[in-house]
Amino acid sequence: MLFTSLQFFVFLPVTIIVFALVPARWRWGWLLVASYVFYAAGDPSHTIYLAVVTAIVFGCSRAIAEAERPAVRVTSLTLGLFVVLGGLFAFKFYDFLAGEIEQALGLVAEADAAAPVLPRLGLTTPVGFSFYAFAAASYLIDIFAGRIAAERNAGRVALYVAHFPKILAGPIERATTFLPQVAAGLRFDSALVAPGLQLIGWGLFKKVVIADTLAPMVDRAFSTPAYASPVDLLVAVYLFSFQIYCDFSGYADIAIGVSLLFGIRLMENFRRPYLSRSTAEFWGGRWHISLGRWFRDYLYIPLGGSRSGAVQRYANIMGVFVVSGLWHAGLGYGVGWTFLVWGALNGFYQWVGLATAGLWRCIGTRLPRLGSSAAVQVLRILLTFHLIALGWVFFRAATIGDALTILERIWAGLARMPALLPAYPFTADHGLAAGLIAFLMLVEVLDERRSIWERLAAAPVALRWAAYYAGIFALLLIGTWGSREFIYMQF
Amino acid sequence: MDTQTNIRVPARPLSARAALLFLVIGIAIYGAVFWWSERLVIRTGHINPFFKITTAESLNLDWVILGASHAMPLDYADFNQFMERETGARIMNLAATGAGPLYNRFILEHFLAEGGAADVLYIADSFAFRSPEWNEHRFADAKLIRGTPLDLGIARRLAGYVSGEGVAPGALADYVTGFSKINNRDRFKQDTWEGEAQFERVFRPSTSADARRIEYLFPDGADDDATLERYLSELHAMIEIARDSGAGFTIIKPPVPEQFQRLLPGEERFDAAMGHLAAQTGVEFRDFSTFLGDPSFYSDTDHLNRDGVTRFFKEELRPILAGAVAGHQ
Repeated sequence: MLFTSLQFFVFLPVTIIVFALVPARWRWGWLLVASYVFYAAGDPSHTIYLAVVTAIVFGCSRAIAEAERPAVRVTSLTLGLFVVLGGLFAFKFYDFLAGEIEQALGLVAEADAAAPVLPRLGLTTPVGFSFYAFAAASYLIDIFAGRIAAERNAGRVALYVAHFPKILAGPIERATTFLPQVAAGLRFDSALVAPGLQLIGWGLFKKVVIADTLAPMVDRAFSTPAYASPVDLLVAVYLFSFQIYCDFSGYADIAIGVSLLFGIRLMENFRRPYLSRSTAEFWGGRWHISLGRWFRDYLYIPLGGSRSGAVQRYANIMGVFVVSGLWHAGLGYGVGWTFLVWGALNGFYQWVGLATAGLWRCIGTRLPRLGSSAAVQVLRILLTFHLIALGWVFFRAATIGDALTILERIWAGLARMPALLPAYPFTADHGLAAGLIAFLMLVEVLDERRSIWERLAAAPVALRWAAYYAGIFALLLIGTWGSREFIYMQF
Repeated sequence: MDTQTNIRVPARPLSARAALLFLVIGIAIYGAVFWWSERLVIRTGHINPFFKITTAESLNLDWVILGASHAMPLDYADFNQFMERETGARIMNLAATGAGPLYNRFILEHFLAEGGAADVLYIADSFAFRSPEWNEHRFADAKLIRGTPLDLGIARRLAGYVSGEGVAPGALADYVTGFSKINNRDRFKQDTWEGEAQFERVFRPSTSADARRIEYLFPDGADDDATLERYLSELHAMIEIARDSGAGFTIIKPPVPEQFQRLLPGEERFDAAMGHLAAQTGVEFRDFSTFLGDPSFYSDTDHLNRDGVTRFFKEELRPILAGAVAGHQ
């Protein structure tokens, strides 16, 4: 069920009303039922895999908690992770890799592609599996590490895995923060209604007004890069950077806002990422925060993190980014090697950042006024944005060849841009896109200094309500409704 | 291990009175926007059949033309006026893009509630009888809804189609709330169909374009006889409705290019079924599908251009339209 569908706008109020009416001790149960209904609305068969994963995770978690012998604990953890992460791998990559291996080994000619040599699973990937698989894996690891006690109530574990606001595209919430909220008793808190609705409204604005306005222009250029003009491609790369941000962070805002209506706080997933002053800051605490922390806690630190030797540290960083690239494969733009390149490129940025950190520290110490000047800060933000945008080309392009074509054509046209830009047939849609992006960045800059919601709360009621009405009617007047899925929920 | 759960939106108690006031003001603004959007529907309206009925000077007609997009070139540019001059008949073309018999019944019922015609000409496309896509699902089409002026009679009738014909409730909700009209980025543009802009064009035949078009027109194929029977029964119902109002009923199959005709699936079965229906109901059924096989008479894969529609009218349609008028006199 899409957050932008009419179906959801009926489902949500009904779910909230029943939630408020049922006795407090049964509210988690109702939320679990609602979560399965929400998930089943897309494809009922996907609930089978969700239930199976939940049952295995619950069983393994109890085995880890109750086993006296370490070997049994390790075996239970391994089994649980194998099912969850192995399943994720099989769904995402098995068929793709089988095809790649066949081609590499010359096992099958192109003409015989319909009759593969290696067997195929042919599985339809359950929607949102990338997200709930990571949530389930973190639960098992946290129990094994003693960070949380294993939950005795299978239903609550099921709710943790399936909680409907987050199941399709995160945030990848931890059981350490989720389950205590459920255990404390869920209640309908009227004080959380306004913030919840504000986040839902802002998330919808980012998705249906901004992201879906930009999407057609991006799709056009990326679908035929060899025939698109350099200006088309350059514009598409910029627009995609904002499309993916508004699409994904819009989903996260709606998820967090909806969850608040049920008294459950989810973790922040985005923090004004395009104001980052370095790619380390971008990935370290501003973009897809819940995934970044998952990789940090369950992969980077166990590998030795920053306490290992220099070579090991560099290898760990690259390993994390490559795995992150693999995780992103299948999110909206198919499974391909582009995601590996995207991950490696971002890993390379971290290498460069790490290698030059001493130099920048030295410059900052010698020239403190220059380092802290607004011009340098803006330059750093712009440089970071362009590095990230370069990576998005590989993320969005259908193949590595397409990505290279786009970059080559933009590069070849760069010198001619002053002549090409005035002659380019910019449309009203381009104007609208530019206006929306400018508005977004204005809000983000203001929000960076002081929360935009706090500013609104402190503003006179007439101004605050005018802002709310402007947002709501912008959604109605220029929103693109019901036509596009969220990019990150397509796997 | 830290996981941030702080939401930077300040929690504050919700005042029921403030919430109610916010809602009331919001509804008032919505009403104003709805009213403005409705005005724009009238100002920019052009092709929508309900718009034509609402804004017509007179609904006392000789001919009402119904059908899908193949009937629409008869109303492109000044062609309807041309046909009226040539035949002396008062003609209104109420065809709609992709509209099958169920949607056409909806249009006809509304038309007959508002006015009357001596004859109904139904231009039958086989694809329109082969899928709910062109029937039940058309009611939810935002472009059709946003061109349809708000009218209690239409709303009531649409509610009937929702409860009795399997039309999605969302279509009714959309219509009565005006959502598609409010949420219309083309609100200031005239409500035209892209086919009208190509009326003067001559299409260069393309096998792949034909194949894509056939695939689009027959999303469910053409093998399911139950679907065909379902929508033939809607056509039957239209004939009955027209007769109850005292109107005659004529069915024709429109011309299509020869190479397109060859690709149409299930045509024999469709022709036989139409022939049977015509014999059963006593209406005239004429098949012009092979009348203009030359692609130079078409603006795209299968829609007549000005030359095509002129030739079709002069050689085949004029006798039908003018003959009936003579009969009325």
